[in-house]
Amino acid sequence: MKKKKHLANELNVPQKIVMYLLLVFIVLIMAVPMWNVLVVATSSRLSASQSGIKLWWDSFSLDGFQYVFTVTKLLRPFLNSLFVTTVATVIQVILSSFAGYVLIQKDLPFKGAITSFVMLTMMIPGDLTLISVYQLNKQLSLLNSYTGLIMNGLISGFSILLMRNFFETVPYSLAEAARIDGAGEVHIFRTIYLPISLPGLATVFFMEYVSKWNSIMLPATLVTEQNLYTLPLMLKAMILTDASTSGTSFAPDNAVMAAIIISTVPLLLIYIFAQQYLLEGMNLGAEKG
Amino acid sequence: MPRKKGDTLRKIKRYRGIYLMLAPIAAYFLVFSYYPLVLGIVNSFHKVKLLGGSQFVGLANYQEVAGSRLYRQALQNSLIVGVGTFLLQFLWGLMIAVFLNEVKRKTFKSLIQTVTYIPYLLSWTVVGGLWITIFSPTGMVNGILNKLGVQGATVFMAEPAFARPIMIFTGAWKGAGYFAALFLAAIVSLDNSLYESARIDGASRWQQIMKITIPQIIPTMKIVTVLSAMGVLRNFDQIFVMGNPSINDKVQNLLVLIYNDGILKFNVGTATAAATLVLVVTMLISFIVRKLLRYDEAYDGR
Repeated sequence: MKKKKHLANELNVPQKIVMYLLLVFIVLIMAVPMWNVLVVATSSRLSASQSGIKLWWDSFSLDGFQYVFTVTKLLRPFLNSLFVTTVATVIQVILSSFAGYVLIQKDLPFKGAITSFVMLTMMIPGDLTLISVYQLNKQLSLLNSYTGLIMNGLISGFSILLMRNFFETVPYSLAEAARIDGAGEVHIFRTIYLPISLPGLATVFFMEYVSKWNSIMLPATLVTEQNLYTLPLMLKAMILTDASTSGTSFAPDNAVMAAIIISTVPLLLIYIFAQQYLLEGMNLGAEKG
Repeated sequence: MPRKKGDTLRKIKRYRGIYLMLAPIAAYFLVFSYYPLVLGIVNSFHKVKLLGGSQFVGLANYQEVAGSRLYRQALQNSLIVGVGTFLLQFLWGLMIAVFLNEVKRKTFKSLIQTVTYIPYLLSWTVVGGLWITIFSPTGMVNGILNKLGVQGATVFMAEPAFARPIMIFTGAWKGAGYFAALFLAAIVSLDNSLYESARIDGASRWQQIMKITIPQIIPTMKIVTVLSAMGVLRNFDQIFVMGNPSINDKVQNLLVLIYNDGILKFNVGTATAAATLVLVVTMLISFIVRKLLRYDEAYDGR
């Protein structure tokens, strides 16, 4: 039943115009730099180094990509990042789901203490214990090793809480019924909780993959050997020339931008596959408790 | 009493599979979270020698940090850039969220959300490299200025006057889409009947936004603010990537300074003392923000 009388469900026309102008402005500010990266990365070295607003190709070329793979040797850091991030994230998802499952047990003795033990680690910022983390890794001979890159920051209290929040949406009576039938804990976990919580597992996987893929501080602390460099370290080495201050750069602009694209593509793929999970997971994570 | 004790024992036995599941995580946290924390606090009271061995020096490291001009400058830089970034990012994210809620076309909406969210996914080396190039003498900003008739090229990244605004802008640029996603999720979940009755009372859409949408998502705003307050002094990546000697005086922040001091110069004592102070100040800031927002009261009442 449509009413004839107009009830205000939309902004009036001048308001709409202002709103759309602002929105377009915001989107341009966010999209144009990214578009610029794409254009410069696929331009020839000469046109990339010329000044001007580069939003369209003068001369299309894949020189930049060739440069990063032949001169900068970006393949090794790329594979390092891929290996370290994937292994660490898989382990993290498995262990976080274990811990999350522990935290939802109804009358587990010492549950309060265990929960505090996990929650407290969220209050210990890894970045503030950096110096001691360095010393610890030195003591364990984990500096300049893949094991060190994987082990540090492996598990986070945050992902454990996220898993717990997902498990809590599973009806407890399901597990009780199975328990009465004599099913073991591991069996209940595997056959009841894991299948229902697949979106949760996916969320933790994607969120942690992104944060590990992007991590700079830990690799910068743990790794000095160039053949163990992860992508962010290599990228930093590429841009941390005097490019920003004097205009002469050791890697040409199109190569830097090509490297940026190469280190972005995996994340974009992940985002496309996991868009709805990511947002859902963020909201669960932002809920208090 | 004895019966109860037996009960607990029996329960522990029943749950031994569960405890086993927890064991690797507990071991991990002990070694990689708790041990470094304790080690850091212990070291902050010692002078650690390069060739091994250390000597208890009491509060000397803390005094050195408190008296250091570099550390005080870094605290100021951290606070100015941190708070500035938060405010701009908050406003920017809120605008995206409120506007997006008014956009009716679904494809358009999700396209905008994706474009604004992507920067949040990128690492600081990517975002830093991108903006350094755009601000470089041959970059886009100079290109635009030249089109507008400004002669010559400005080396933005070497100009102390531009340093903090650039960090604040790029920080907000990276994070605005994330805040927008959080705000939008809160807006979408608002009860439609609120708008319904406002409409019947003759409120315009603009009035509905100002009187319903914004006030109703204040709880989400509070969560966002409290979470951000805990991170305000802990911005490493951005300055690590985008800082350079010409502008360090304006932007070098606490974590980058601690890294330089502790990892590169090996002043373990002062670096850990500074890190411990940052931890204490972070907790203090978080406490004050929670109190100012009446954060805990608001949630206890629910």
